[in-house]
Amino acid sequence: MSKSFYHYPAWVRLWHLTNAVLCLFLIVTGFSMLYSDPDNALVVKFQRAVSIHNVCGVLLTISYTLFLFGNLFTSNGKHYLLNIKGLGKRLWKQGRYYAYGYFKGEESPFPVSSERKFNPLQQVSYVGVMYFALPMLFITGWALMFPEFILKKFLGFSGIFLTDQFHVILGFLVVIFLFIHLYVSTMGKTPLSNFRSIITGWQESH
Amino acid sequence: MILSRYFVCLTVILFVFSQQATARANYQDSLPVTRGAELSLYAEDNETNCLVCHGKLIYTLTDTVMGMTRKQLMSEQNLVIPGMFYNSVHWSFSCLDCHSEEFKIFPHSIEARFETSWGCIDCHGYDPNYEQYGFEEIDAEYQKSVHYTATDGLITCWKCHDPHYYNPLARQTRGGREYIIRSNEMCLRCHSNAEVMGLITDENVEIVLPKHEWLPDVDRHLEAVRCIDCHTRMNDSVLVAHEVMPADSAVRGCTDCHSQNSILMGTLYKYAARESRDEKGFVNGVMLRNDSYVIGANRSKLISFAGLLIIGMTLAFALVHTIFRIVVKPKDQVHE
Ligand code: HEC
Ligand code: HEC
Ligand code: HEC
Ligand code: HEC
Ligand code: HEC
Ligand code: HEC
Ligand code: HEC
Ligand code: HEM
Repeated sequence: MSKSFYHYPAWVRLWHLTNAVLCLFLIVTGFSMLYSDPDNALVVKFQRAVSIHNVCGVLLTISYTLFLFGNLFTSNGKHYLLNIKGLGKRLWKQGRYYAYGYFKGEESPFPVSSERKFNPLQQVSYVGVMYFALPMLFITGWALMFPEFILKKFLGFSGIFLTDQFHVILGFLVVIFLFIHLYVSTMGKTPLSNFRSIITGWQESH
Repeated sequence: MILSRYFVCLTVILFVFSQQATARANYQDSLPVTRGAELSLYAEDNETNCLVCHGKLIYTLTDTVMGMTRKQLMSEQNLVIPGMFYNSVHWSFSCLDCHSEEFKIFPHSIEARFETSWGCIDCHGYDPNYEQYGFEEIDAEYQKSVHYTATDGLITCWKCHDPHYYNPLARQTRGGREYIIRSNEMCLRCHSNAEVMGLITDENVEIVLPKHEWLPDVDRHLEAVRCIDCHTRMNDSVLVAHEVMPADSAVRGCTDCHSQNSILMGTLYKYAARESRDEKGFVNGVMLRNDSYVIGANRSKLISFAGLLIIGMTLAFALVHTIFRIVVKPKDQVHE
């Protein structure tokens, strides 16, 4: 019953690996700065955290731009087109499946195929993270690197303060995404099969 | 269509204007209270005795014997700008309270030039009215500072605190950015100027700013902290510590400032912190009033709490789900 098909083209895998590594560095150094404490051995040394965070932020912007081009000019982009109609219902169906049907041995309501790479929950979270959270993180992050371009005051608050708060909130969102993403990825055919496929490219349907 | 575009433009323009208005208002807030020449009992005397010459960039030199006059330029060094003088703490003084009567005569005599000027401590020391400033402690600290020891006391209080324009800005401005810049100008007047330094000391002094390039975005740092926040020994009993230490004892650890127990709370923000407890909801919240955001020292307690809570809930959910997966053994994983 299981048939294999080529699921993740090489550029997606390469991009994804770069993306994942850079994001991990950014998260660790970002948290090290937010919870900076000279006596805490868990956090990266402040000065090092600042430099690593800056370098990774720039690299991630570049890799993200390449990803955008990839999605624009290859068929991979179609998986990121959200169909709003009936979305709520589909999300509910998929959520119910994860919470209930999955344990009952029901068929996956949106089985993976070459036409539909992501189930609705995946699709929404990937679109949210790739087309909203990351771009906003880049904008706020670059602004913090060149603070002279930030408005001095906005609605009575210091511009740099608001930018920073927004950056931190988005950072938390990406961390939350990452945990969900990692966990849901263990729910493939076997706990490890999705990880194998994002590395090798081949996916077994289930 | 056109209407909506017009709206966008209008919003942008209004926004830009409101920005500038607040910036200006902020700057004005940071200026000291205006006292005004009208109130001074000595305004007239000061004018006729001294400010006719010292208060103007161009003054008139008179030769009484020959009956000749000539316009001369007052050197910047000897200029006393009346508006700024009457805005300083010592606005109510006559020039002659601090300067010898001999100065009424021009050319100024050698006796006049040999006057010994008062020190702050001569008038303010051990006076309960000024206890809050801790002049005695400041004086003791100053005598241990490099400026006193390296120059045999040539760098007096007056070299940093302009005798004619002084205001206790740390209190009046609550540590705004304007204040920091002005406070640092006090030091940079000498330290960013190799020629000035050459006049004071024989040693081969370098301009200081390159020594600070270990700070990322130096310019920004030097507008957000005072020189003395790094260069003086911390002292809890005065608002502004005065013991400037040799450069190798200066603060250079990022986390001295960028951490929850930032030294800035005991230096730059001491006055703000003393006046009001914390701005709620933020770690070291008083700093935020300064349009500053100090990474690691300021953080929203709410965002941290909500963020960590949601992360915790996610992990808990994943854990429960995993347990179910182990216990229930989803059929499709067993079959297929
Ligand atoms: C006619 C103009 C004139 C008047 C009036 C005048 N000064 Fe001066 N003063 C000068 C000039 C010019 C200099 C700089 C040249 C010099 O040092 O002789 C000077 C220099 C000084 C100095 C610096 C002395 C030094 O050794 O560097 C002091 C202090 C001073 N004046 C105080 C006063 C005081 C106080 C008064 C009022 C009581 C006053 N002057 C009135 C023209 C004037
Ligand atoms: C609170 C005391 C005080 C008052 C009031 C005061 N001076 Fe001075 N002034 C000083 C001191 C102290 C110095 C020497 C500064 C130094 O050693 O660097 C000085 C220096 C000067 C100088 C020499 C240039 C300089 O800045 O070093 C001039 C000129 C001068 N005063 C003019 C005046 C005039 C004019 C007035 C009145 C409007 C006046 N002063 C009022 C304390 C005072
Ligand atoms: C000749 C005496 C004299 C000298 C020298 C002097 N002061 Fe004053 N100072 C006074 C007097 C008198 C007042 C009160 C003026 C008033 O209330 O109008 C005052 C006011 C002040 C105030 C405001 C106090 C308050 O709470 O309102 C400060 C701050 C101050 N001086 C600092 C200094 C510093 C710093 C120096 C040295 C750089 C100095 N003074 C030198 C006499 C002096
Ligand atoms: C090397 C420069 C320097 C010297 C020398 C110096 N000060 Fe200061 N002082 C500062 C700076 C910087 C501040 C903080 C800026 C401000 O508040 O205006 C300050 C602030 C003060 C204040 C205001 C403190 C408060 O509680 O508001 C007083 C009073 C004062 N100094 C007195 C003195 C006396 C007295 C001397 C001489 C014994 C002296 N200073 C010498 C740099 C100096
Ligand atoms: C009137 C000029 C003058 C002013 C104003 C001044 N300084 Fe200095 N400073 C000197 C001189 C002169 C030395 C001694 C240089 C030497 O001999 O090495 C010195 C030495 C120092 C040193 C020790 C340098 C070393 O090599 O160890 C530090 C730190 C310093 N100053 C900081 C400050 C700060 C901070 C301020 C402002 C609050 C300030 N200075 C204001 C003239 C000045
Ligand atoms: C963040 C802390 C910090 C701030 C803010 C700071 N400094 Fe320094 N400064 C240092 C350190 C650390 C050194 C020693 C650098 C070295 O020796 O490599 C130093 C060195 C110096 C020296 C000695 C330079 C030499 O030639 O040896 C002077 C003078 C000095 N600073 C003055 C200033 C002045 C003036 C300001 C304000 C405009 C200032 N500093 C702001 C930390 C600071
Ligand atoms: C004396 C205190 C102090 C020390 C020491 C210090 N900083 Fe800062 N730093 C600040 C303050 C205050 C700000 C806030 C600037 C603002 O709000 O504009 C800041 C801002 C920053 C920023 C953000 C600047 C921007 O462009 O938005 C970075 C990055 C930074 N510091 C890194 C460092 C590093 C790395 C070190 C150590 C090498 C360091 N700082 C040492 C006080 C300090
Ligand atoms: C250690 C970190 C990461 C690991 C192990 C990981 C793992 C995976 C796996 C296994 C898949 C395939 C998912 C599936 O088929 O269900 C995948 C896809 C994906 N991941 Fe990640 N991921 C990581 C980090 C990230 C981060 C930080 C982001 C975004 C910020 C991200 C965004 C995506 C996207 C957008 C896809 C779909 C790619 C496509 O086919 O277009 N991942 N990841």
